[in-house]
Amino acid sequence: MNWFVNTLGTSIGKKLMMAFTGLCFCGFLVVHLAGNLTLYGGKDFFNGYVAHLHSYGPLINVAELILLTLAIIHVLTGTFLFFGNLSARPKRYAVNKSAGGRTIGSATMPYTGFLMLIFIIFHLFNFHFADHATQTVFDIVSNAFAAGGYVTIYIISMVIVAIHVSHGFWSAFQTLGANHPKYMPLIQGLGTAFSLIVGIGFGFIPIYVFTA
Amino acid sequence: MRLDAKMPGGPLEKKWDKHRFELKLVNPANKRKFNIIVVGTGLAGGSAAATLAELGYNVKNFCIQDSPRRAHSIAAQGGINAAKNYTNEGDSIWRLFYDTVKGGDFRAREANVYRLAQVSNNIIDQCVAQGVPFARDYGGLLANRSFGGAQVSRTFYARGQTGQQLLLGAYSSLSRQIAAGKVEMFPRREMLDLVVINGQARGIVVRNLITGEIENHEAHAVVLCTGGYGNVFFLSTNAMASNVTAAYRAYKRGAFFANPCFTQIHPTCIPVHGDYQSKLTLMSESLRNDGRVWVPKKPGDKRPPHQIPESERDYYLENKYPSFGNLVPRDVASRNAKEQCDMGKGAGETGLAVYLDFEDAIKRDGKDVIEKKYGNLFQMYEKITDQNPYETPMMIFPAVHYTMGGLWVDYNLMSTVDGLFVLGEANFSDHGANRLGASALMQGLADGYFVIPYTIGGYLTGTSLPDVGTDHPAFRDAAGQARSRINKLLSVKGKRTVDDFHRELGLIMWDHCGMGRNDEGLRKAKKMIQELRGEFWENVLVPGSDGDFNQSLERAGRVADFLEFSELMIRDALDRRESCGGHFNEAFQTEENEAMRDDENFCHVAAWEYAGDDKEPEFHKEPLVFENVELTQRSYK
Amino acid sequence: MTTAKTINLTLKVWRQKGPKDKGKFETYQAKAIPTDMSFLEMLDVVNEQLTLEGKEPIAFDHDCREGICGMCGTVVNGRAHGPEKGTTLCQLHMRRFSDGDTIAIEPWRAMAFKVVKDLVVDRSAFDKLIQAGGYVSVNAGGAQDANSLPISQEFAEKSMDAAACIGCGACVASCPNASAMLFVGAKVSQLALLPQGRPEAAQRALSMVRKMDELGFGNCTNERECEAECPKEISISNIARLNREFLKAGLFSSVK
Repeated sequence: MNWFVNTLGTSIGKKLMMAFTGLCFCGFLVVHLAGNLTLYGGKDFFNGYVAHLHSYGPLINVAELILLTLAIIHVLTGTFLFFGNLSARPKRYAVNKSAGGRTIGSATMPYTGFLMLIFIIFHLFNFHFADHATQTVFDIVSNAFAAGGYVTIYIISMVIVAIHVSHGFWSAFQTLGANHPKYMPLIQGLGTAFSLIVGIGFGFIPIYVFTA
Repeated sequence: MRLDAKMPGGPLEKKWDKHRFELKLVNPANKRKFNIIVVGTGLAGGSAAATLAELGYNVKNFCIQDSPRRAHSIAAQGGINAAKNYTNEGDSIWRLFYDTVKGGDFRAREANVYRLAQVSNNIIDQCVAQGVPFARDYGGLLANRSFGGAQVSRTFYARGQTGQQLLLGAYSSLSRQIAAGKVEMFPRREMLDLVVINGQARGIVVRNLITGEIENHEAHAVVLCTGGYGNVFFLSTNAMASNVTAAYRAYKRGAFFANPCFTQIHPTCIPVHGDYQSKLTLMSESLRNDGRVWVPKKPGDKRPPHQIPESERDYYLENKYPSFGNLVPRDVASRNAKEQCDMGKGAGETGLAVYLDFEDAIKRDGKDVIEKKYGNLFQMYEKITDQNPYETPMMIFPAVHYTMGGLWVDYNLMSTVDGLFVLGEANFSDHGANRLGASALMQGLADGYFVIPYTIGGYLTGTSLPDVGTDHPAFRDAAGQARSRINKLLSVKGKRTVDDFHRELGLIMWDHCGMGRNDEGLRKAKKMIQELRGEFWENVLVPGSDGDFNQSLERAGRVADFLEFSELMIRDALDRRESCGGHFNEAFQTEENEAMRDDENFCHVAAWEYAGDDKEPEFHKEPLVFENVELTQRSYK
Repeated sequence: MTTAKTINLTLKVWRQKGPKDKGKFETYQAKAIPTDMSFLEMLDVVNEQLTLEGKEPIAFDHDCREGICGMCGTVVNGRAHGPEKGTTLCQLHMRRFSDGDTIAIEPWRAMAFKVVKDLVVDRSAFDKLIQAGGYVSVNAGGAQDANSLPISQEFAEKSMDAAACIGCGACVASCPNASAMLFVGAKVSQLALLPQGRPEAAQRALSMVRKMDELGFGNCTNERECEAECPKEISISNIARLNREFLKAGLFSSVK
């Protein structure tokens, strides 16, 4: 398996890992969002969905483990790439100006990524590691989003996620080599749409809960 | 000394085969015992270094730029000729040979040119195998276009970047040999002298342009591929670093310089537009495939081109040369442009330009087709002039482009110094008095890929080459001279910059030894050059030190050599009492202002031998014998 | 040609004696610069002036001055080769600037491109990349007839698009990560698109990428600055092709 490590250890190999894990997270976001949308169906509908999810038992644990592994790979590789890129230009330019290639998303990837990591930890403590014995998930959500501060944090975080995904989505395809004159515009459009859906889809939930 | 071109006997078509058979071979195991120095990494140098290394020789390769990929061959735009006859127009090796000899105004060696035409086909095969992305037809086969001086389409091309692609092909082969350890590459080195020991070229002295260090390199043979001397005119299409120093140093060490007055003025360049200008930009000759050259019929007509009606335009090339039209050879096109401007019919503010108009081509083929063919050239033109050639005709004027003259070589490409081989533009051999378009790339690669690999073996086996080291007195002597010259340049500390002198020299040469020459002007120029040279050594200002990256010092050394070499050009021009190709002496012209050769007295190569700084060079004559083509007045009518 | 208009400029030029020197910006005035002049000719004028004042002229690389040799290049006001799209520095003309402008001129900055002097950098890393596999292994002499393998016009054109690279280093200079992916992608693509380059495609992709990492270039984060600054406008689709070729070579070919 030496060849495998050698391949993934190169700069492109690392990028391939980022792209692959990133796309997995995009998939996760779709599932997560779909589940969260059941909130709009009311308390019982939502708690029913949660119960259904939990009925998978150990499968959920496996899924969590996979997500955790992907996250570790994504974060560690991203950190390596970030510092590698810094040292590739030890002396910076006095004047910096974009030629028009960069976007807010692309220019801020490591930073939005870092903020997302903090948010995810925060988010897990809020919901995942919260007391599930005395309250339903719906209660946890309604309690949390009753506070204006929480709502603000979540909305800002969702904007950050959208920015991260706006570059990450098409960039993953490019890194995997899927750049075709016929399909690339579609992928880029899809990336923008996806970032908007994720941002708005997740971002409106705290507002909905807060105002409900 | 009688010049012996070592021409093989027998019929023209058999000479090269016969010669290759007669050349002694070097046993593959013995090749690794020979070290060869190749100076230059252009089409000739790059291909020679790569090929010699592939054969097993140890090669040391030098270039002046930071990378071998940047040699000035890279700027060749239009294409490369070959006698493939893929277009079924009746082309053949013989026709390519004939066109080239005729295009050169019958001042090249028949056997050399025939060999060039023979190997032209191998070059295309080799380049395609290297991954050179030549233009292709819809069916996937190679495309051709036509060039000046030919009535068949035999020019292979890669957009307007053929030189670049061919050079990168050679560079990739070279890189492969560097990786294999067979070529040791020395970038940012300038050759300052040739080391001759017992009459054999055994090494070179170079300056490391980064550290300023003088280095000695030893070998069993030296191959010079250092390009032409067009920059003697200051303004030319050459790169800024192109220079005569390596060739001129070899000349001073005993290599004869042949036909130095044969310089090519390219007809389609962007006109001069200011005193500060540093170089002239060529617009590929391929543009003349579709562009029509014209001037206003009335002298002094300063109306913008679109206001001049068709009936008041003079398509002088089409009118004067109906069968070749806009595709006459370069010397003819240039001279006619000058003639029109001299009559006051020139375009633009300076009156030193003619129009190259694509209006009809765009009407005929559509903008898309023209853009596909010449897009990058049009873009380049617009960047420089701020005018859009799709809408308004280009303005062009002749500029110094190529030098047919160069170090004299025999059929083996060896100079008059044993073991010193000269390839590509640096030698004089294949283009006579005028080079046809798309032939320079052909010659550079022919010399490097397919001639030197055989002929150098013949020299190395048949010659006794005793061991010499870089501690040999000849090395110490040459390096010492190089150092003292550098110190001399730095110690003048005068008031005029190097470029200032160079610019003045260029003007003298352009005015008196350019497109049109006459005895009076040439004599005047000679005197002016001598005076300028005197002033240079008393008043030049070279800043900085020798132990450093010092671009002013680099240029100073080159200009110092140009200041001597230019006199040799003038001497040669005065001596050739005829007009031929790029050498046009106004006293020798036909009634229709065409160049008038004197085949009886000047059907020869003029080779000059250095006789000392204060002495006139010695003249040697190599008669040119034409057994296969009939010498005629060139006609493109 | 338009009648020469002239402008006055303030230049802030990076001066550095050698690789070990710290370097700093120096300010120079460039007076009465005709707008028809090229950027390098403007530097020539400043250098003539410096020489006459007894100062050392600014060292900068340049050669063909027609946009093809790839020798020139500096960062002008934060942009590699200056503000004009698809242009090398030598092809940039002063009509792109206005009277009174201040222009900051810096060398290419990257770990893999050390400063030699002032604006001159060492780009030998690019040569090493080509030596690592940017070639087809054919010796002179053995090639078959050039027309024996038809190549579709589409592939020949795409290959030529990639082959247009002049090796100037603007991609590395403009990349926020100083990555050489566009340079490597262009060479790998040029050869991968042609049947002549296919036999060694896997080995080439692996070797060139490994060499690229070894030389200290950064990683590509698909910011597209290289494509936007490339004087030959080489597309990042070539980077995608490199990724593809590398993925195939690394995971699915037998080449190690």
